[in-house]
Amino acid sequence: MAATIVAERLTKTYQVKVREAGLRGALAALVRPRYREVRAVDNVTFTIDRGEIVAFLGPNGAGKTTTLKMLTGLLYPTAGRAAVAGHEPWTGGAPFKQRIALVLGNKQQLLWDLPPEETFQLNRAIYAIPVADYRDRRDELVTLLGLGDLLDKPVRQLSLGERMKCELAASLLHRPEILFLDEPTLGLDVNAQEAIRGFLRAYRDRHDATILLTSHYMADVTALASRVLIINQGRLLYDGALDALVARSARTKRLELVLGDGVTEDALARFGDVRYFRFPNATVEVPREEAAAASARLLASVPVADLSIQDPPIEDVIRRAFEVDTAGGEP
Amino acid sequence: MSGARPAGGSAWRERYAALIRAAWLVDLQYRAAIAIWLLWGVMEPLIALGIWWSIASGGDVEGFSRSDFARYFFGVTLVNQLTLAWDAYYIDRWIREGEMNYRLARPINPVHESIADNLAYKARSATLILAVWLVAAAVWPAVRMPVDPGRWALAALAVVLAAGIRFLNGYVTGLLGFWTTRATALMELQFGLSLFLSGRIAPLTLLPPAVQTVAGVLWFPYVLAFPVDVLTGAVTTPAAYVRGFAGQVVWLVAWWAAYRLVWSRGLRHYGAVGG
Repeated sequence: MAATIVAERLTKTYQVKVREAGLRGALAALVRPRYREVRAVDNVTFTIDRGEIVAFLGPNGAGKTTTLKMLTGLLYPTAGRAAVAGHEPWTGGAPFKQRIALVLGNKQQLLWDLPPEETFQLNRAIYAIPVADYRDRRDELVTLLGLGDLLDKPVRQLSLGERMKCELAASLLHRPEILFLDEPTLGLDVNAQEAIRGFLRAYRDRHDATILLTSHYMADVTALASRVLIINQGRLLYDGALDALVARSARTKRLELVLGDGVTEDALARFGDVRYFRFPNATVEVPREEAAAASARLLASVPVADLSIQDPPIEDVIRRAFEVDTAGGEP
Repeated sequence: MSGARPAGGSAWRERYAALIRAAWLVDLQYRAAIAIWLLWGVMEPLIALGIWWSIASGGDVEGFSRSDFARYFFGVTLVNQLTLAWDAYYIDRWIREGEMNYRLARPINPVHESIADNLAYKARSATLILAVWLVAAAVWPAVRMPVDPGRWALAALAVVLAAGIRFLNGYVTGLLGFWTTRATALMELQFGLSLFLSGRIAPLTLLPPAVQTVAGVLWFPYVLAFPVDVLTGAVTTPAAYVRGFAGQVVWLVAWWAAYRLVWSRGLRHYGAVGG
């Protein structure tokens, strides 16, 4: 399968003005401004195949959005190259932009005072979509996203979740083959998040689209992405399957227990690290390779109604990956 | 999979129609605010007219009679509304608050949205002001313009060129937001200077020679005083027409070149707000 997104040693550095606090600092900065170079993205290399859904993970300021903005042609890289749908993003112009969509969770394109249908109409003209195609696609998006009666309400009267659904519809009318989504479920309630995820899967399946998304919500990642890119301080730490990351980084397993009568927290402590205890439920973390033995000992010595062995939550796994990198990366 | 046509002439017509339609629909939501802005735009020249009207009570001022002042400032009101450009404020905000991002991801240069916005705004304001002017001219002979289709055509051309210069001037100033957070302050400064240098407060010939000299080497007189003078008949000789139109073309080209430069450099410099 041909790679549809290629990033090769992609690097972006910013000049950031250094200013000390206080009036003196402000005056000094005025007379002799000093700059510091910040590497927002540092030698990042990866490829994404057509039809893949890949999640881009990292703490705030890690370089996720900067990478996304380079791949969509908004930013010029300081070094490196990229090819998206066969185009160099920052020189691809209109033919390139007709093939992609950029959805920003925190900055929407919907015309605030008008019903979403007006933004759809505007995008129909901007993307030069033939009228018949426009009707078909709009109807498909309205059905998939459940927009029904939202189309004629002013955007300002819609809930955040409804707005994001309309935003997605507006962004996908030109049927882009590559979607770049920056925090598409930001601030949404659980139902709305689930609706968006379901829609994105359906869109990918129907149109063989490629999706690269950033998110802070692990549920987005586990539900959508088979592959994750983890970035921290501008550097790519991990590129691979989510399962493999868990197997590599998770040194522990969790024993999820439903306890029988009379078991105390202290009684569990000798089997491992008690992470949660609220009778009758408890979670005990044990070294990965000892999970089976610890379970057997536990079952033999305390009354247990139910026991399951789980991987630690993906949040913990990723946090650990960042901690290892930060500790190793400091001078 | 991407089923879009390559954008030809008809696609561009549709784009502009859609952009203008959206601008009008948004305007309709802000009727009161727009009426206030329009009133503000009309008040300034009317106040200036009131002052000059009373100064001219004892006879002509440097060859300007009361009727001349009335015609001049009615002309200023119309031409000002037809050439006014707010773009610096929008562009600066788009850049600072990240609204430029989704615009840059679209297959059209954001400048088209601004041009369409200007066409929508100007068509609306001009219609209103022309209507007011027709009513005023019916009852007040001083503000009647001589019926002279040739001159009106030249005035229309001068207004179009002036609107182009003023648009590009504002747009380029807004684009300085790629580098500085003071782009709107620079626009305010130019508004202040234009009060004198473009002829908003007084016909240029009434200003001190030094001010006229400064104005003559800048674009300000070409965006207001010259089109107003063409409209009111103050430009009489072919040489004066040629000088005026040549000045307009030079400044239009200069600001166009500035736009090309600032846009391409600005995009390279763009930091795009957000992580």
